[in-house]
Amino acid sequence: MSVTSLEIACTVNGNSITQAIDVRTTLAHWLREDLALTGTKVSCDVQICGACTVLVAGEPVSACTYLAVDVDGKAVTTIEGLARDGELHPLQRAFVEKMALQCGFCTPGFIMMAKALLDSTPQPSREEILEHLDGNLCRCTGYAPIVAAVEQAARVLQGIKAGENG
Amino acid sequence: MLPPFALERPDRLDEALGLLDDVSVPYCGGTELLMAMKMNVLRPRCLVDLKGIAELGRLDWDGDDVLVGGAVTHARLATDDDVLSGSALLASVERRVGNARVRSQGSIGGNLCFAEPRSDIATLLCAMEASVTLQSQTDSREVAMRDFLIGAYETVREPGELLVNVLIPKVRRYRGVYLKYQYSERPTVGVALVHDEAEGPWRLAVGAVGEIPLVLEADSPSGFDPHAVAESIDLVEDLSGSVEYKRHIVEVYVRRAMQLAIQGDSL
Ligand SMILES: Cc1cc2nc3c(=O)[nH]c(=O)nc-3n(C[C@H](O)[C@H](O)[C@H](O)COP(=O)(O)OP(=O)(O)OC[C@H]3O[C@@H](n4cnc5c(N)ncnc54)[C@H](O)[C@@H]3O)c2cc1C
Repeated sequence: MSVTSLEIACTVNGNSITQAIDVRTTLAHWLREDLALTGTKVSCDVQICGACTVLVAGEPVSACTYLAVDVDGKAVTTIEGLARDGELHPLQRAFVEKMALQCGFCTPGFIMMAKALLDSTPQPSREEILEHLDGNLCRCTGYAPIVAAVEQAARVLQGIKAGENG
Repeated sequence: MLPPFALERPDRLDEALGLLDDVSVPYCGGTELLMAMKMNVLRPRCLVDLKGIAELGRLDWDGDDVLVGGAVTHARLATDDDVLSGSALLASVERRVGNARVRSQGSIGGNLCFAEPRSDIATLLCAMEASVTLQSQTDSREVAMRDFLIGAYETVREPGELLVNVLIPKVRRYRGVYLKYQYSERPTVGVALVHDEAEGPWRLAVGAVGEIPLVLEADSPSGFDPHAVAESIDLVEDLSGSVEYKRHIVEVYVRRAMQLAIQGDSL
């Protein structure tokens, strides 16, 4: 049956949500306007800059060009879902410590993109980091501190994992 | 908010085929379609979502051949173990499509059917003599990639047809190189130079610079004349460069691809 609104069930940052959504709604619009998760930014609106990157079922997508109803049955993670009990995620901490941001508008997208990389490739080479972040734009930092932050976060996360296992 | 449309989410192929017409169009990753709708270039009345149709997600090997379902994503083709071992060349080209978000959302069928001229996949598949299966409610036909693309954003696909799969015969036996020059999200030029290790000619495909890829054959990787290729190819001036610039870059990239193939630096 052809529909213009659909009831979907998904999780956003671990919280279950069931809601009827107009099919015309983009994921970025839904997150920002309905769920007040304004950490996800919209900049270029054409999948080039990466500011709107969120994870759907663990994969990075451009929320600006993605139908919100397509997260039906899936887990969505946004920048707001990273900190635990007031503690910044190692990626967030590394971005602060390496001064990997100035205006900060691109930062949530970079961090979500980096998270997708570290989830699948816990110890990426510098080339892998550069290749993976190639589709995200930053006009302030010159990128070097961002790459350094991802490298630092990878080391910290490896340390945490080793600690958990040992 | 996008312009108004209705959504269908069929889970069977026949159901999807029954829904398609001039105003009800296939919708997969949406990376091209939703963007065109945002810009008011396309205004379909209904989107028929293909992502729930299991058949379109197949990735089946049969000897040296692979059959790729129309909805298979670039990310899957770039990381699937069987693709990595069966065709490192295909996997490496898929790995460099657009950006990681486009690769996880975008499908091979969407790439080919949108027929945006700056496609790496179309260029490579033309060189590999791949074909696509187009299926309608009443019929199914296999079309060679080189006949499928007829112009910029134009293919022989009818509105009632779906690209159900891409067949790349003998892909395991193909060796070759793919070079592209890309300073933004899409290639300025893409050059594929491949051959079937067991038999047959070397095939050169040059894409992204004109409306559709140019495909040429020679007995050896040194059998092409880069200057003549650049002089004979139909080029389109666009934001990636002037005709003069594109002629130059085609010559350079064809020469580089030939050098790599001659040195045996192939995947
Ligand atoms: C920022 C950006 C960068 C890119 N860079 C590159 C690049 O470097 N190299 C490259 O090769 N490509 C590149 N692309 C193109 C990309 O590969 C395609 O956008 C993607 O594969 C389209 O797939 P989709 O599933 O999102 O298609 P959709 O947007 O869902 O559909 C595209 C079109 O195809 C039709 N369609 C979809 N599936 C089918 C089917 N199975 N049968 C019939 N019709 C169908 C739709 O009706 C629509 O007209 C880029 C795209 C973007 C947005």
